[in-house]
Amino acid sequence: MLFNSLTFVVFFVVVVTLYWSIASWTLRKNLLVVAGYIFYGAWNPPFAALLFSTTAMDFWLGRQIGKAKDRHAKRRWLVASVCMNLSMLGFFKYGNFLLQNFQWLLARIGIIYQPPHLDILLPVGISFYTFHSLSYTLDIYRGVLQPTKSLRDFILAVSFFPQLVAGPIVRAGDFLPQLVRPQPLRTGQFLWGVAMMTLGLFEKIVLADTLLSGSADRVFGYVGPLVALDSWAGVIAFAGQIFFDFAGYSTCAIGAALTLGFHLKDNFRFPYAAIGFSDFWRRWHISLSTFLRDYLYIPLGGNQVRPFRAALNLVIVMFLGGLWHGAAWTFVVWGLLHGSYLVIERVCRILFEDKAWANNLATRVLAGAATYAAVCIAWVYFRAADFTIASRMLGGMFGQHPHGDAILSTREMLQVALVTVGMISVHWSLRDSNIETAVTRLPRWTVTAAWALMACAIILTQGTSNAFIYFQF
Amino acid sequence: MRSFISNFKERLRLPRLFFRQPSRAEQIHGGPPLEFERPIPPVPWRGMTVIVVVVVVAATAAWELYCRSIGYGPTLNDNEDLWTLRRRSVTPESLVIVGDSRGWYDVDLDEFQKGLGKRPIQLAMGGGCGYPVLADLAKDESFHGTIICSVTPRLFFAPPGTPPMERGEKAVKRFHNQTPAQRASQYLAFPLEEHVAFLKQEELTLDNLLKRLPTPNRPGALVPPRLPPYFGTLDRERRARMIEECARPGSELAKRIQQIWIPLFTPPPPPTYIPKEQFMTKIGEAIGGRFHDITTAVEKIRSRGGKIVFVRFPHSGGLKELEDRETPRAKTWDPLLKMTGAPGIYYSDFPELAGFNCPEWSHLSAGDSVEFSKRLVPHLRAALKM
Repeated sequence: MLFNSLTFVVFFVVVVTLYWSIASWTLRKNLLVVAGYIFYGAWNPPFAALLFSTTAMDFWLGRQIGKAKDRHAKRRWLVASVCMNLSMLGFFKYGNFLLQNFQWLLARIGIIYQPPHLDILLPVGISFYTFHSLSYTLDIYRGVLQPTKSLRDFILAVSFFPQLVAGPIVRAGDFLPQLVRPQPLRTGQFLWGVAMMTLGLFEKIVLADTLLSGSADRVFGYVGPLVALDSWAGVIAFAGQIFFDFAGYSTCAIGAALTLGFHLKDNFRFPYAAIGFSDFWRRWHISLSTFLRDYLYIPLGGNQVRPFRAALNLVIVMFLGGLWHGAAWTFVVWGLLHGSYLVIERVCRILFEDKAWANNLATRVLAGAATYAAVCIAWVYFRAADFTIASRMLGGMFGQHPHGDAILSTREMLQVALVTVGMISVHWSLRDSNIETAVTRLPRWTVTAAWALMACAIILTQGTSNAFIYFQF
Repeated sequence: MRSFISNFKERLRLPRLFFRQPSRAEQIHGGPPLEFERPIPPVPWRGMTVIVVVVVVAATAAWELYCRSIGYGPTLNDNEDLWTLRRRSVTPESLVIVGDSRGWYDVDLDEFQKGLGKRPIQLAMGGGCGYPVLADLAKDESFHGTIICSVTPRLFFAPPGTPPMERGEKAVKRFHNQTPAQRASQYLAFPLEEHVAFLKQEELTLDNLLKRLPTPNRPGALVPPRLPPYFGTLDRERRARMIEECARPGSELAKRIQQIWIPLFTPPPPPTYIPKEQFMTKIGEAIGGRFHDITTAVEKIRSRGGKIVFVRFPHSGGLKELEDRETPRAKTWDPLLKMTGAPGIYYSDFPELAGFNCPEWSHLSAGDSVEFSKRLVPHLRAALKM
């Protein structure tokens, strides 16, 4: 179920009430397991069985890795876990994509093959829970985690409903320790959790869905050429929409977890105030970027290898990061663009890091603006349904269609401009801080008024239950 | 003692322990390096929450009272989930109404039940094209019931990718893919929407309120025309009724809506990115394709023993002039009946159906819809050989 739906409101109230009414820690955990499976099964009940089987297999494989005496045996069990998880992901998410590309390859060598279209329904959030589960066996293999003895605890770590379907990607090693001792009910923590949920829903329902998505959808859905102003407005609207959509979900997840006494790490840290692309990836979808860093980039050698190999590692990681987002070449190009950005940044650092001007305010602001612009350009490939749309959009953005159409109303452009300016201002003012610090330092009346205003705006918007963008991943 | 913020930052920046064998204390369950605790801002949460709750409740109540004072009343929102609930109640022998808002507002379910012996299931939708629903019923091999299809040519022959088609397609898609959570949300929405006036998804949302701002657009900007404001109520059976404020002769609301229909029913200018002739050819092909697809769907339904009748519902004033000019009967209605071989009822062909006036040019008032339905029943019985 969606956070922005009436079903979730009722579900959440019931779960939280029951949870805090039960004294037994074991029963509380059982309740959360049941809640997680109801939450997930509310999309498509049979997929709950898939979730359980993945979890149970990784639990068993984790034990085998833990029990294995030597490195080779451990590796064999790890390979089994990785293959099991990735084949599940591959079948459901990339099955048709692989078949289409196979067909295309055969056609290149003159073989006409018409593969059957597999009518595969993508289990919601499979990319997220696969990574939740996989982190367990990977961490046991790496020696930073011992296998848990409790299947129930592991099931709860994977199926904890706030983060189950759209992140943050919570590693078992970050969550399992929280299941050891019962978390006490702290009023401040509970209410701060509710406030964070309000903020998350405000970001999703009001900012992403109401003020930005319309412009982005119209621009990316338009079949003709557009003038530069509309093209840029559409892309900037999408840049804001995807941030508020995904960061909104993460904030809701963190808030919901807090109301139950659990602590999830930040998934976003004001990414549009990033200076450079490595900084951007330390701020955007942190749980994915650190996952890829720890389990892919570093094992590939990270930056402890020759510069060319380190650059190649970056590109490989971003290529796979792009593919993780969706079974389409446009996502791959998006990933490769970010990989290239990271390589260029690394070269620039080597060349200019020692220069005095490289760290002055003007350079930093310019670098921040350039980072934002480059990230927006990459979003074109992320959002466009195909390369034709992407090239038409880029053509519009760079003035190739001076006589193209103008399709956005003044109101829509004002909305995009105001929300974007507001978003970037907040990101820059908080780039070295965090939301908790801001809430602590702001006058009480300002925080109270902002909270009330956000709640009123959510009610006024009435939430049309639009799915979160990241559900499809 | 360090502040929680510095502690928080430090925890966030703790290096992960790559490939190092952790000490026993660091292993599961719980060692200091892997533990993480979010800081809680030290503010008076209880007091702030009380103020927020009071403000939000007061603001919501004030907004509700204001909406009621300017003429809004509680009614259900028409969305894909409500439509899906009705679609689920279709049985193989059901009597189903499909099409656009005229088949929605102008039909009284009680009169049809009395006259036709079965309670119809209302699947027509405002601003929607009936074809996707018709095609879906044709695809359903078990269905061999009766279909009353409202035809407003501008909507029924709307090409793929246009809002009327998308509306119909989205509803059908939701019927096939509705999740248990979506269904539950609809049931939870019923009591709320039936008692709260401001819950109007197509009218009183922030988005729609912003659309009302009088901001001038750039010359030549291809901005979609506005949609009409709230003028009807809906019940759980999806029976739509025009509100009295709109039905009152010469009312401001009706006049406002009349002026909204004109741009909505006026064909948009051809796009600039392909030559006009090429565009017109494409549109012609799309309409030709639609005739063919409708014929196929009708044949499928009839081959299983199902029945279908097309109905052109009343419309008046400037909108009638516009429709007669842009979508003349000879190019739309007549070929439709000829190609499908299905019976049709064109309201103006029958004096007892022709005398109705649509207050806002497109739909009948709630009272007239009952009378119109009563008079339509004998024609339906004849057309359907009942």
